[in-house]
Amino acid sequence: MRVRNGCPRSRMRRTDLLRSGAQGLLSRRARTLLTALGIAIGIAAMIGVLGISSSSKAALLARIDDLGTNLLAVQAGQSIFGDDAKLPEAAPAMIRHIPPVEQAAAVSSVDASVRRTDLIPSSETGGIAVTAAEPEVLDTLQGAMDEGRFLDEATTAAPAIVLGSVAAERLGITDLRQGPMVYLDGHWFNVIGILEPLPLNPDLDRAAFIGYDVAKQLFDTKANATTIYLRTHPDQVEGVRSLLARTANPQAPNEVQVSRPSDALEAKAAVDANLTRLLLGLGAVALIVGGVGIANVMVISVLERRSEIGVRRALGAKRSHIAGQFLTESIMLSMLGGVTGVALGAAVTRIYATRQGWLVNIPTEALAAGVGAALVVGALAGLYPAVRAARMDPAEAVYPTG
Amino acid sequence: MTPVLELSAVTKEFPGNPPVRALDGVSLRIESGELVGVVGASGSGKSTLLNVVGTLARPTTGEIRLEGRDIAKEPDRVLAGLRAARIGFVFQQFHLVAGLSAVDNVATGLVYRGVSHRKRRHASAEALDRVGLGNRGEHRPNQLSGGERQRVAIARALVGDPAIILADEPTGSLDSRTSDEIIGLLLDLNTQGATIVIITHDHAVADRLPRRLELVDGRIVSDRQVAGVAS
Repeated sequence: MRVRNGCPRSRMRRTDLLRSGAQGLLSRRARTLLTALGIAIGIAAMIGVLGISSSSKAALLARIDDLGTNLLAVQAGQSIFGDDAKLPEAAPAMIRHIPPVEQAAAVSSVDASVRRTDLIPSSETGGIAVTAAEPEVLDTLQGAMDEGRFLDEATTAAPAIVLGSVAAERLGITDLRQGPMVYLDGHWFNVIGILEPLPLNPDLDRAAFIGYDVAKQLFDTKANATTIYLRTHPDQVEGVRSLLARTANPQAPNEVQVSRPSDALEAKAAVDANLTRLLLGLGAVALIVGGVGIANVMVISVLERRSEIGVRRALGAKRSHIAGQFLTESIMLSMLGGVTGVALGAAVTRIYATRQGWLVNIPTEALAAGVGAALVVGALAGLYPAVRAARMDPAEAVYPTG
Repeated sequence: MTPVLELSAVTKEFPGNPPVRALDGVSLRIESGELVGVVGASGSGKSTLLNVVGTLARPTTGEIRLEGRDIAKEPDRVLAGLRAARIGFVFQQFHLVAGLSAVDNVATGLVYRGVSHRKRRHASAEALDRVGLGNRGEHRPNQLSGGERQRVAIARALVGDPAIILADEPTGSLDSRTSDEIIGLLLDLNTQGATIVIITHDHAVADRLPRRLELVDGRIVSDRQVAGVAS
């Protein structure tokens, strides 16, 4: 035993502090488990929210990466008078001359409606936009064919049509086996292909594509592009983007809109972040409720264990030892919940993400933060009961009757 | 030789209207190796005396010397150290930890000395041998009889080899035969050198002790060495 100024000192080993905390919890198992459950639910909710949103975001970003962020779209906007502006006819060629532009293709809207037969009134367009397209559109958009083939040099002047995935569905055409035809304002067109969905350009899923030549000939479509799609070198996207308006329409660059279709998907990931914050807040509320539960149980425990506190004081415990014991117990209780919660949250994330076909992605920081949050909650919840236990008069505590 | 315990003019008042004077000018000396019984009716100040002597409560006035050191005004951490090292307690209600074996219960007597778990268990096995429970070390309190539980509690008090053991009604929860055995054990420990103070309201218990103090209304009314009792 250590002696200071000729006086023996009361001291307790750290392992004994932990042991005393564990003893307190083990002697009231049901209470311990139920109290820890409160923390576990809060932590599990937070980990689950973080894990699921992060897995979903990772999946989305992987998809964006896969689709490429180097696709840009140039569109005619509006003139300063509010009229619909037009891109000059030379715009596609000018854009192709920008060195980092790898591919470009124009599309123009056609003033025609597409119907399954001539018996359906022309007002029922089904929301399908007839669009004149250059053959390079498919490659530029990195689209894929579900059935048949896309327009090419040979079919650009022919009454041939390629349907976007939604357009095909709306027209009730699922395959090309019967040689389906559709009716465009007095002209029958052969359906030669159906596109797979285009994730970066979902508006084009509702389009029906015909060649420029046939559009000009039958529907008097102008050569001015409505939209020009282009792929740039991945490192030069921003540089090209800043040049596009002036290149496409040197006379009126302000009438040109330039967009990056992948931005829409990235915005979706950002919107998810707001929802994540909200759900995290709910998890935090659950955690705080769990912490209040711990404080409550610890206060009860201090009152029930008066005689234990008295005996420990008689055996030589300092006030700080008693406070430390109850604080340790509170933290251990909370940590039990925290670790369980982290495991539970990770398991939920794993199951959910696997079902969605995502890669499981749980940020390590979230796991550490979960355990850390439990530690802090346990310490805060245990503070008041610990002080209360330490202040108990040992003589009264050890002789409950006085 | 310095007495183990020396009280001079110790009073203890509890607040109230009028204040309750539980100890009223108590002076006494207890030498090393003594076995002292303190008898008195309920409310005579026995428990207060034990609390004050055991440093669980402070006297209102007066001086208490434990092995020559005045402890009346020492801070709590010093008193805690003295309790850990120099004072052993035995309670009427045993106050054992239900979830721990006898050995581990006795070992808690050394927790606040910073002794390692292994050494504590070793010392507590020896202490259990001294109280005649060497073979029941792994039993839990609910597997032991009342007398055995009190033996465990006595072992816990003596495991640290304290300067003085304070026993508050150690036989108060036991039947008369077990009570005799426990007093016999305390007498044995005393002959081996332990200094022991036993508080009791039971004159049959006090009659077996070599020195008897009688407390009435917080005052010592008699203090005598009893002839014919082995010391």
